[in-house]
Amino acid sequence: MSTEILTLLFFGSLLLFVFLGLPLAFVLGGVSVVFLYFTWGFDSFYMVASQIWSTMGSFTLVAIPLFVYMAMILERTGVAKDLYRAMHLWFGGLRGGLAIGTLAICAIFAAMVGISGAAVVAMGTIALPAMLARGYDRSMCLGVINTGGGWGILIPPSIMMILYALISGVSVGKMFAAGILPGILLMVLTAAYILIRSNLQPHLAPALPPEERGTLREKLISLRSVALPILIVVMVLGSIMGGITTPTEAAAMGVLGSLIAAAVYRKLDYALLKEASIRTFKLSGMIMWILFAAHAFSAAYQSMGAQSMIEGFITQIPGGPWGIIIAMMLITFILGMVLDPVGIMLITLPVFLPIVESLGFDPIWFGILFVINMEIGYMTPPFGFNLFYLKGIVPPEITMKDIYKSVIPFVIVEIIGLVLLMIFPEIVTYLPELLF
Amino acid sequence: MRAISAFMKGVTRMNKAIGVAVSFLVFAMFLFILLEVFLRYAFNAPTVWTNELTQLLFGAYAVLSGGYLLAHRGHVNVDLIYSLFGPRMQAAIDVFTSILFFIFTLALLYFGVDMAQESISNWETSYSAWNPPIWPVKACIPIGTALLVLQGIVKLLEDIAIACNLSYYRPEDHPEHDPKGEQL
Amino acid sequence: QETFTWKVQSHWPGASSSYKDSLGRLKEQLEERSDGRLKLQLFEAGSLFKAQETFNAVSRGILEMGTISPSYASDKMTLAGIASGLPFAFRNVWEAAYFHQALGFEEMLREEAAQHGVYWATDKVYPTEMVVKEPIESLEDFKSLKIRSSGALQKFLTEAGAAASYIPGGELYTALDSGIVDGAHWGAAQGAYSMALYEIAKYHVQPALNIAGTDVIIVSQKAMDKLPADLQQLVKDVLQEQFWYRTNEYLYKERITLAKAIAEEGVEVNTLPQDVQDHLVQVGQAMWDEEGKRSDKAAEALSMLKSFLSDLGYL
Ligand code: NA
Ligand code: NA
Repeated sequence: MSTEILTLLFFGSLLLFVFLGLPLAFVLGGVSVVFLYFTWGFDSFYMVASQIWSTMGSFTLVAIPLFVYMAMILERTGVAKDLYRAMHLWFGGLRGGLAIGTLAICAIFAAMVGISGAAVVAMGTIALPAMLARGYDRSMCLGVINTGGGWGILIPPSIMMILYALISGVSVGKMFAAGILPGILLMVLTAAYILIRSNLQPHLAPALPPEERGTLREKLISLRSVALPILIVVMVLGSIMGGITTPTEAAAMGVLGSLIAAAVYRKLDYALLKEASIRTFKLSGMIMWILFAAHAFSAAYQSMGAQSMIEGFITQIPGGPWGIIIAMMLITFILGMVLDPVGIMLITLPVFLPIVESLGFDPIWFGILFVINMEIGYMTPPFGFNLFYLKGIVPPEITMKDIYKSVIPFVIVEIIGLVLLMIFPEIVTYLPELLF
Repeated sequence: MRAISAFMKGVTRMNKAIGVAVSFLVFAMFLFILLEVFLRYAFNAPTVWTNELTQLLFGAYAVLSGGYLLAHRGHVNVDLIYSLFGPRMQAAIDVFTSILFFIFTLALLYFGVDMAQESISNWETSYSAWNPPIWPVKACIPIGTALLVLQGIVKLLEDIAIACNLSYYRPEDHPEHDPKGEQL
Repeated sequence: QETFTWKVQSHWPGASSSYKDSLGRLKEQLEERSDGRLKLQLFEAGSLFKAQETFNAVSRGILEMGTISPSYASDKMTLAGIASGLPFAFRNVWEAAYFHQALGFEEMLREEAAQHGVYWATDKVYPTEMVVKEPIESLEDFKSLKIRSSGALQKFLTEAGAAASYIPGGELYTALDSGIVDGAHWGAAQGAYSMALYEIAKYHVQPALNIAGTDVIIVSQKAMDKLPADLQQLVKDVLQEQFWYRTNEYLYKERITLAKAIAEEGVEVNTLPQDVQDHLVQVGQAMWDEEGKRSDKAAEALSMLKSFLSDLGYL
């Protein structure tokens, strides 16, 4: 059977079982096993077990339970609630103020982690209830967390950029530098969207009525609650930049910070630790079982000959160099719906990179486009890991449909950003050229 | 019938108890990483064992979560179309899709046992600078998968009961298993 | 005529020079000289199996071919520790090559691998060298170092008094940049260059920490047996040529890369002071005997190595 037909069957059966409500992890794992049997025989199932063992041995993933643990402790201590109250007092007058504040926290979080899942789960726990409680539109809140939670791979440090550098041979330092301005651009675009939308439709992100905005004294007192979150950010970011910890180890500093916060709030006891541990276990386990199956899935797809299919496909694209670049973006976008980013990189980059370079494009610029595209892939329906992580944390009355619908405008905003970077490549190349 | 109910309750209770116990490993991982950072930064004396031990604990932690999550309906799914159906139809669909669940988990169990056996047969160690035994963590793959398979059988029995209106399992006795998922 | 396609799992990422130079060459040679009867389908590091799992997959016949470092097969191969390099044993690459091919170490590795259904062929022998941010000018300098390391060398560097810790490849650049570690080894010049380590660490330390057959091509015996006799011979011949060709080419590229790093990135070669070298040799030798204890074969290989080194006048 040709790889094209296999691809259709592979992805088709995936969609069927997902929409029949089987949990994502089992769909990915089951479909891999079935297709491995038909393409490679019984023994190939060993690959599934072996991929799980390898995923268990990936040190950077240890950051997931730790950052989730940090968020669970913070949420229970009340510091998160106080932080949002302070933010509301200060920016409550601004329509969409809390959503933009959430974006800012997401950006800070993104500078602390190199991966995506932990931030979505953490922000879903902390920010979502706070915004919903203040009358923010459900769709707006979900979209903000989905988009901002994914910035972890876009803003350095970023495991994705390091991987891209390893596969492509470009400098890691230049990749990091190149990611900064595009990250800011996307933040500005997303914030602008929120501002415009909430001024056109004030009920989506209501301002605090003037009589509730508090006196200056109240505002100043509320700032006390900002101190602890800032302490945590300083502990995590400071230990990364100060050469004290790697980004993965920095997650432990985050936990330490949240324990200090709990102690300050006089909530640090066995019950808190136990409850946070159990909630962390549920969420990290959910993420990890999806990753187990996703890694098996991309290995299975690789073994079916995905790479040579994409190779054949890309050579038939009309429209000259830009046609090819756009086709590559579309392919990554589509694969981003179903595969994990590491798998996508391993399948596509060996095909794409020689072509990109032979066409005379800058591989660093292409890398940033690629990483942004992965970030979009994390949140595009029907398959976006961020969507699933968020679904795992929201209260039951929020359905997958709500989450799916919520990301559409935010995906469009990111695509606009992507197009801007294609038209003005200087936004990407300016900093690396200046710094190196 | 009573045996079926007892089996279902027993498995679920076991998975929940194991999950609670394993969940505390996150605190151990936190402590070990913190210790390593402290020793390296303050005393210029990094250890050879902290990161690797954390890694091994993490592996066990992750793979042992499967059954506990299923017992709590914690594996995330898409309810877009699914939620349009009534409970009996949903249960019938679940019976059908469980084929894929069992294909995945049984393949994993088979090769997980195989891998663990091989590892245990030579008391496999990691051959790193610290060189700890890694067979216990490899053994967690078939153990974690077996727990998941058992809970999957429980889930299948529930679904069959709901779909066919059988008496050994009544969903109204188990409000925590509302298909809409459990509030964390 | 029957054609065969082999799946080959690499332990090198695609951008690594060895991916193209070793595997690319092997593919080209085999396909051309078999008139297309034997084809290789290459997979970059981690695509199908992670590096540590490749030996098992080849041993079970799930993969026909793969590349590994001997240390990834430590649990099966008692000779792995000696193959992946005893610290400060050889002083020149040719010595390691002679030890493998003329004195029979390669044959010993092949025999042990055959017990697991694997045909073992060392791809090349080459040095492992450190890069550091500040030059090492005294034993004190060395002992104050924090070094990113892995495997047996991590133990060696620790015993020699430095602070060696393991950091995964993906975080190495950041760790070195922010000062979590002051130095690292990732292959030698080419490895450091590919990881962009010279951007942040300007001193290339010599002599090598070890010189060894750190890259190995493994073939599944099951797959080999399926080939007609002439193709089996072809595979073995090409692999044998590969060793000499690649060992030589790799040395050449090391020098070219180091020259480029010196010219473009302002890198300097930091030759370890004699007292540091003496200290490292002493610590290294104490560790060798540990490896000899793993099996009779390992003891035999170690005594062979020691007598070779005394013949050379090093012991
Ligand atoms: Na980041
Ligand atoms: Na997606």
